[in-house]
Amino acid sequence: MTGTPVVRAVNLVKIYQTGGLPVPAVRGVDLTVQPGEFVAIMGPSGSGKSTLVHMLGGLDVRTSGEIWLDGKRADTLSESGWAVLRRQKVGFVFQFFNLVANMTVADNVELPALLGGASPKHARERREYLLGELSLTDRAGASPAQLSGGEQQRVALARALANQPRLLLADEPTGNLDSRNTRDVLRLLGRVHGQGQTIVLVTHDARVASMADRVVSLLDGQIVDDGAIGRTRRRPGGTAGDVVELRG
Amino acid sequence: MTGAWHGAAGRWVRADLRARRGQAALTIMAVAGIVTALIVAATLLEDGTNPWRGLFERSHGAHIWLHTKDVPDVTALRALNGVTDVAGPYRSAPATLVDHGRRVPIALQETPAAFPPVARPLLREGRWLDARRPDAVVVERSFARALGLRPGSPFTVTGLNGATHTLTVAGLAESGDQGFYPEWTPGLAWTLGQTLTLVEPAQGRTEMVTGLRLADAATTDLVVQRAVFTLRNQVQRVSTWREVRASMELDNRLLGLLLALFGVAGLVAAALALANAAGGRVLTQLRDIATLKSLGFTRGQVTRMLVAEHGTLGLVGIVLGLVAARLITATALSETVAVPLSPGPLAAIAAGTAAMVLVAVWLPAWRGGRTPPIPAAPAAPPRGHLSRLARVALLVRLPPALVLGARDAFTRRTPALLTICGVAIPMMMITIGLGCWATLDDFARHPESVGQAAALSVRPGNLTAVEAHDRAMADPDVVAAYPGVELDALVPWQTRTVRARALGTSTEPYPFPVAEGRMFRDAGEAVAGQGLLDLLGVRIGDRVRMTIGGTPLIVQIVGRVIEPEQDGEVLSVGIDSLAAKDAVPPQFYALALRSGADPAQVRARLQAQGLEVSQAVNPADRLSVIRVIIVALVVVLALIGLANLLTAIALGLRDHVLDLAVLKAMGLTPRQVMATLVTGTGLLVTAGALLGASAGAFWSRSLIDMEGRGSGVGAGIGRAPTPGMFAAAVLVAVGAALLVALIPARRAARAQVPVTAR
Repeated sequence: MTGTPVVRAVNLVKIYQTGGLPVPAVRGVDLTVQPGEFVAIMGPSGSGKSTLVHMLGGLDVRTSGEIWLDGKRADTLSESGWAVLRRQKVGFVFQFFNLVANMTVADNVELPALLGGASPKHARERREYLLGELSLTDRAGASPAQLSGGEQQRVALARALANQPRLLLADEPTGNLDSRNTRDVLRLLGRVHGQGQTIVLVTHDARVASMADRVVSLLDGQIVDDGAIGRTRRRPGGTAGDVVELRG
Repeated sequence: MTGAWHGAAGRWVRADLRARRGQAALTIMAVAGIVTALIVAATLLEDGTNPWRGLFERSHGAHIWLHTKDVPDVTALRALNGVTDVAGPYRSAPATLVDHGRRVPIALQETPAAFPPVARPLLREGRWLDARRPDAVVVERSFARALGLRPGSPFTVTGLNGATHTLTVAGLAESGDQGFYPEWTPGLAWTLGQTLTLVEPAQGRTEMVTGLRLADAATTDLVVQRAVFTLRNQVQRVSTWREVRASMELDNRLLGLLLALFGVAGLVAAALALANAAGGRVLTQLRDIATLKSLGFTRGQVTRMLVAEHGTLGLVGIVLGLVAARLITATALSETVAVPLSPGPLAAIAAGTAAMVLVAVWLPAWRGGRTPPIPAAPAAPPRGHLSRLARVALLVRLPPALVLGARDAFTRRTPALLTICGVAIPMMMITIGLGCWATLDDFARHPESVGQAAALSVRPGNLTAVEAHDRAMADPDVVAAYPGVELDALVPWQTRTVRARALGTSTEPYPFPVAEGRMFRDAGEAVAGQGLLDLLGVRIGDRVRMTIGGTPLIVQIVGRVIEPEQDGEVLSVGIDSLAAKDAVPPQFYALALRSGADPAQVRARLQAQGLEVSQAVNPADRLSVIRVIIVALVVVLALIGLANLLTAIALGLRDHVLDLAVLKAMGLTPRQVMATLVTGTGLLVTAGALLGASAGAFWSRSLIDMEGRGSGVGAGIGRAPTPGMFAAAVLVAVGAALLVALIPARRAARAQVPVTAR
């Protein structure tokens, strides 16, 4: 795990202004993610973990600090600059799937490729490949409302991977799924990671976090723990006891 | 890169439009309706105030008419550069029409029994000339009307040799080559060649008229010069289309200003509807837009995409409106409108609406572009609290649905305000339209309030003034006869004349509608219309020096009257203020009739007495085209109001979708949930309708007065809608709104609402 880090955050700070009062959400986070790494960010509600990944993807503006994506400084980019960077290098998966309700599954998956400048033919081929990988080929013509939660999240994952991004950011991707669908989505994330995809995943579920190579724990906007999980310990379906032991 | 962007944005736009076909269609219809209404109104205005254009086009008229002593060299005329066709030459003879002892000059013009290709008279009533019936002639319609001639009526003409002939009216026709009587004299009758020879056998006393139709009307002067040169000394007189047009034109300033007011009102309403529809759609889509931005859409791309989507709807509406207007003028109005609107106003309407569309969709699109790219950010929950009023309402056990609905209506101030405005603004414009309607009704019902206390005016003709006065007063329906004279007055520092009208005497003045100041009481005092006051830059109380009928006079303007004629540029004095040579005998008597008397009947009786009688044209009749426009605009405005309402309801449902689940969980029946939603909408609509209607009633008077002032007629004509109209408009608006609100409320109340967000 050497070379240019995919993500490097230096002393990242985010302060919200709520009713004139400054509310710090992220207070000086330093984080480096190497290519091919699978990092889980954990923490209780309000610890600033979602804000952190939103800033890493440029959805939210940092108050101070630096963000480097793929060796290039990104925090100084304009909103449009971030947008262009996102369509090339970052894929997002959200808790509530956020598929465009009026578009079919196929259109939803092709949208980023088209946006990134791919030809309609290439976009279609990529979509067919991704939906095939996620065993959704037969749902291509359906509208998102006709899909189950798990299927929707798999479509969202396909959409996030459409442009072969350097970085996949997932914000509580299983937060709205039952255990079976959670397992399916996690298995897919594992497979994608196995193919070399760099992933930063936010969760408050220890079982989900146990999929990752490395778990970063956030509390009140600061990193309180950052540790790699040994390969031997990382096994799907680990018990709660394992996690307690791990975090202990 | 750009093409690819079009691909992504294009897909999103297509998907969005597919998902809301009905709403998109409504938007298109609102814009199309406005454009159609504007174009039809402008066409009617153009045609109504300038009938020449349509008549000339349909009769395929000649631009130039040459009057020569002998038959001109037609080949040489046809060879002139710019001349496309020649009418005639036709023989024409002057004669005198004798009608109830009156002698009226008439021109007889030879016309073939088959319709000529150029300068073809347009038969309106009766039959055309028939070689088998040489005594039957076709009379120009306005002339026939002035004389009371109908198809079948006999009349006598006297030729220059004094011989009298009886002719019959075969039919009435119009033409773009003959101005309206009495502005254009003499009146015209089309006859067969043999009839003309019968009335005027002497060749020397007839003249030849030849019409030239030109390729380009702008070359008229040049062609006239060449024709006169070509025919050397033969040409006695030339008339052109410009003089004919001038004789047909009505003063249309008030109409034009009213139409402009409606046009602006319609455009503002359409802009509001578009902005509302686009804005509402954008607000309901913020989450999707945020998702797009998280995928890498930039702010500019989102804005451009939304402008393209909503702007396209508006532009499609404009194109549809242009097509619909063309179809309506070509089919439904083909009788009244001959020529489509000239390209100038058409382009102005299309471009104005297009600019308005783009401005109207820009703001919501810009708002959409500024959406933060975090789609997970929850919409702020509706803030607000149970007001004291609501608590009291609950205490006195009003139905909970009413209380909750009332609470919902005003919980979020901004959307509530937008809904109220969305209803209030169209409602205000509808009320202003009703105010215009009431004003026209007032013109028609109380003509004395627009200076037409006298419904008829008689000219002595070949009687003496005293005889005419006595015969008129002998009629049981005539209450008063005011002696009158109309003269040209030369205005100091102006190179043109205005009309000076002496009517009644200082001691017994004509009942002018005085809006400001007072009536004249002495010789040397005068009242004037707003147009004249503006022209001279004087105020009430000032003295002005004018040359009236050649005599210099100094008059003091003591009052302002409502003056519908001559754009208000009329000075009215008592007949005793004029020099005796101008005032005696009076040119005419203005007759005030007993209330309830039918002017047409009195006119017929007086005409039978040998008097020349003309009937005043009420400005309301001249402005009747406005009524069509008012109805059309009210319909379009109502549609716009409904479109605004639907947007507001959709937004309200979006905000309340979570509340609905909670309400159901608390135990409200679907009927109660429905009542809650309808109450919420109904309260806002009632507030909006009342507010808009009140503002409209309040403003309509002053707006119409402002228009009146601008047109020279003067302030003081405006009327607010009658209480009946007002109440009906508000009730219909609220009723229709509640019905519209019921449909989505019913659906929402029955739908299974998920408790979680999406």
